[in-house]
Amino acid sequence: MSWKYLCEVSDVETNSVKLIDVDGVSVLVANYGGGFRAMPPICPHMEEPLAESGVIANCILTCTKHLWAWDLRNLSMIGETERDLKTYEVKQEGDKVLALIDGELTYDFDEEGDDDDDFFK
Amino acid sequence: MTTISSNRTGTSSSNLRTDEDVIDQVVRPSNDTCLVEVQSKAGLTAFACSKNESLLLAGLRQGLTLPYECASGTCGSCRARLDSGDVANCWPDAPGHMKIKPAKGDILMCQSRPLGDCSLRVPANVVEGFARYELPTHHNGRIERLDRLTSDVIHFDVVLAEPMSFDAGQFVLLQIPGLEGMRAYSMVNYERRTRRLSLVVKRKPGGGFGDWLFERAAAADKIDVFGPLGSATFHPDEGHDLLMVAGGSGIAGMMSILERATNEGHFESHRGHVFFGVRTVDDCFYLDKFSRYVDRARGNLEVTIALSDAPPQGPVEGAHPDIRFATGLVHEVCGRDMQGRFSDRMMSYLAGPPPMVDGALRTLIGTGKVTPDRIRYDKFG
Repeated sequence: MSWKYLCEVSDVETNSVKLIDVDGVSVLVANYGGGFRAMPPICPHMEEPLAESGVIANCILTCTKHLWAWDLRNLSMIGETERDLKTYEVKQEGDKVLALIDGELTYDFDEEGDDDDDFFK
Repeated sequence: MTTISSNRTGTSSSNLRTDEDVIDQVVRPSNDTCLVEVQSKAGLTAFACSKNESLLLAGLRQGLTLPYECASGTCGSCRARLDSGDVANCWPDAPGHMKIKPAKGDILMCQSRPLGDCSLRVPANVVEGFARYELPTHHNGRIERLDRLTSDVIHFDVVLAEPMSFDAGQFVLLQIPGLEGMRAYSMVNYERRTRRLSLVVKRKPGGGFGDWLFERAAAADKIDVFGPLGSATFHPDEGHDLLMVAGGSGIAGMMSILERATNEGHFESHRGHVFFGVRTVDDCFYLDKFSRYVDRARGNLEVTIALSDAPPQGPVEGAHPDIRFATGLVHEVCGRDMQGRFSDRMMSYLAGPPPMVDGALRTLIGTGKVTPDRIRYDKFG
């Protein structure tokens, strides 16, 4: 487990996202004004690419495909959203944004169907 | 048509929470009727479904809150997992299959007819819902009044044998003899308990229904109708200002909203902004209707036509001084024009080709800071 360099603070404008490759792991960096978040690059709903479908306004990241949304300040789910957003721990060191990446975070899109008890989670 | 079998035979029924009372309540009118059990987040329920009807329509007709958006095979929202039993897939190439996992037994309820009793799991709360006016059902209709509005847009009325009540913004599914599958179209008119549905269709290359309407349809032709459906609806008592962004025939539901809002005096105390995207001036339609709505709203309604391919030309613009014309993609025109005018008193309605809806969502959420609960649209892509 180690802190990995993601980008410069100035690389990701406020209210925007940027896709970054970290040693083969695809990471989406989001600048929500109040800070940065780093996450897997897909929406946990239907695997939409958040680099294209994600929009940030008022610290809220919305996947414009089906309007799932999360408050990036505390990662709470907004509205109809049914799954948490997974994130890597992030810190800023001077002008650099770092993330604690210990293997790739993924969503299990099959868990709903593979096990009867999980289908509705 | 293909047959899909449950891949869980043997273990499936034991996984269901048995509730004989629920199942026994389902009336089975004939041998052609199958019993469909639904395990959902809300527990177990069941309904009867004929072998000639899709699971979705049968369930909706009987008041169950089965999840859906397009009800016509494109969006994937009516996903269910077949736990036991067999269904026929009416449209194996339906685009909605891209969004589900058929290998795991996922089916689109809108495209599946039962071949016998079956049980489904549905990832939603399926309960007996309430209908604001009436449950959707099958109607017999006949075509009336076919009017070509542009080279590829046609307006027509369907006269129903029995009246229907619908909300402004809702749609119906249409089916004609000899053409497999149902098409979804929003009503243009608004009237409570009416036998007349006004509809508008934009002809697309390879679109069987558009081809039929343009080339072969005639007054009095029979047409099957199922509805009303859809949740992108307008209710004056919610007290919202209205923002509408539509492309092509997506304007249909907006016209219904404008009709109701105008007739019920909504624009006496609320504002409305309509952005209607077409390619060129020659592709515009309903301009006279817009002019009437703008006139009756006494300054509280703005209608902007966004022309994506060519700047406006004099004559059409001149004939409609009360309508604004702009050049650009409709969501971009909307974003520019509404800059600083988005408000939290506003409900936004979107309809049109999926790329337009995507663009409009980005504009509303990104530029307008509009929250998702203030945006209504039915997903067709």
